[in-house]
Amino acid sequence: MNAPVIRADKLSKKFISYKKAPGIKGTVSSFFKRKPIEKYAVNNFDLTINKGEIIGLLGPNGAGKTTLMKMFTGIIVPSTGELNILGHRPSDRNLDFRRKIALVMGQKSQLWWDIPAMDSFLLLQKYYEVSEQNFKERIEEMGTILNVTSLFHIHVRKLSLGERMKLELMASLLHNPEVIFLDEPTIGLDLVAQENIRNFVKRYHEKTNCTLILTSHYMQDVLALCKRLVLIFDGKKGYDGAIGDFEKILGNNKTVNFNFSNSQNIEEDFWKQYNPLWNEDSTQVEIQVPEDEVRAVGLEVLKKYPITDFQTEKMPIERVMKTLMENPDILRNQKTP
Amino acid sequence: MKNYWLKWWQTIKVTWVKHTAYRLNFFLQIIGPGLVFFFIKYQLWSSIYRGDQQTIIGGFTLDQMIQYHVWGFLVALIAQANGSWNLSEDIRMGRISSYLIYPFQFHEYHTASFVSFQFIQLFIATFTLALIVLTQLAFLPSLYYLIQGTLFTLFISLFWFLLQYLVGILAFWLEETWIIRVIISIVSYFLSGAIIPLDLYPKWLTHILDYTPFPYLTYYPIQIFMERPVPVFQGYFVITLWMLITIFFINFVWKRGIKMYTAAGM
Repeated sequence: MNAPVIRADKLSKKFISYKKAPGIKGTVSSFFKRKPIEKYAVNNFDLTINKGEIIGLLGPNGAGKTTLMKMFTGIIVPSTGELNILGHRPSDRNLDFRRKIALVMGQKSQLWWDIPAMDSFLLLQKYYEVSEQNFKERIEEMGTILNVTSLFHIHVRKLSLGERMKLELMASLLHNPEVIFLDEPTIGLDLVAQENIRNFVKRYHEKTNCTLILTSHYMQDVLALCKRLVLIFDGKKGYDGAIGDFEKILGNNKTVNFNFSNSQNIEEDFWKQYNPLWNEDSTQVEIQVPEDEVRAVGLEVLKKYPITDFQTEKMPIERVMKTLMENPDILRNQKTP
Repeated sequence: MKNYWLKWWQTIKVTWVKHTAYRLNFFLQIIGPGLVFFFIKYQLWSSIYRGDQQTIIGGFTLDQMIQYHVWGFLVALIAQANGSWNLSEDIRMGRISSYLIYPFQFHEYHTASFVSFQFIQLFIATFTLALIVLTQLAFLPSLYYLIQGTLFTLFISLFWFLLQYLVGILAFWLEETWIIRVIISIVSYFLSGAIIPLDLYPKWLTHILDYTPFPYLTYYPIQIFMERPVPVFQGYFVITLWMLITIFFINFVWKRGIKMYTAAGM
């Protein structure tokens, strides 16, 4: 077994900010006496990631995902704890380490705003010492797959968000990094662009077997790419395990929706056992059915009631995620594998 | 080694394009303030001399005084115009993060950006000099003094760059660094001879100033361009010492600052 690519051991990052009351009075008094507020953005975080894994790092806004990404890439220095990536300590900002990683941020452009993307590519080619031949091949290949070859010579500021994001992705992959950090790469993109980016990343991973750490609020991204999920709540690790197990965190029930051609009697005993949620005029119900009974219950309902339409839940992960965000305490009673 | 210099060369090219992306804006920003400052001084000294060509103040006739300030304008154009003041904003807005990830250091990037800026500045200065000579505001010195003055001014620009870099990275602690910039500018206007030639200052003060970087920032290069004798090697020596001191502080501030960097806004 190879050594893990990323190993974090009790990693913490503490930020200190100062409290200031509003108004002139507050400004004056804070000038003389400042009240420091310490806050752990990341707290005692352990994580081990092996080569070739794709990890979905999820959590609500402000949970510490980006802080974790910043520590992984060496941009900020951890307050305490150990971090080892590919044999390097990221905060040393060793040039060898920098050559092996890449960071893509959906919220922030890394391409030069005022010049065409090709100029940025050429600069990065020199920075990462990519050979002329290799550079041409990679640009050609990635540009064709992402369908952006015609945009190379247009000023970046004149491109749409989706176009820019594809070029950002290309720029960060030019040097064939071993570990790639994708921080909300599909944020704000239309559905087609999101799918393009997802497919591209998936293909790229299959080809290179790189290690990928992805944060996203879109569960489609996570479902399409990740096999393993790591959840972070309030700076602490909440869950770490397979995506399949995560979906069952709230039990093995499946959510099934039925539509009826007329109003139903919601007091019927049959429904009550499945924890039903009715719409106002009782023509639609959502029930929770144990996974192994879905077929039997479905058949019975279809036989007994005037069904016009029915669906089973497509993304249980989204429901689980939403429930957990609203009530993170559920995880405390769960065992993390 | 070749690969290393290619990184520099490509950065110089890219920052060149970046500097000149908004041409008119760039031109106004570079020439504008210096030109306004020059005309204020022109008016000031003309009224002090009351237009009298015979009056001599501190060894300068009115004509020579105007020439002094014309050269002062050119020196400032080459030595002080570079834009690394923006550095503090880059730190505050978290824009320096990219250069903590690329295998090309942050200070290397800024130095390369400074070099490309100086290429542009030299071009603008040459053009301005041609205009000045054509309009007979000042006279072209001999080639020897012209080269010596230009080299010395470029050397000074390196010191200005380091000083601006140092002030810029104070942004790790300070919300705004403009107040320090303003203080440095005002102090240097007075002590470098940018407003009043140092010949008019008391002897004891200029003796003290000789150990500081100030007289070499404006007064010395002007004197060289005006073909007046000044101890140039003393200038190189004192400025080299100050550069070393500045580099020491840059290292000191950077090492501490980067530990506090939070990369806000990314």
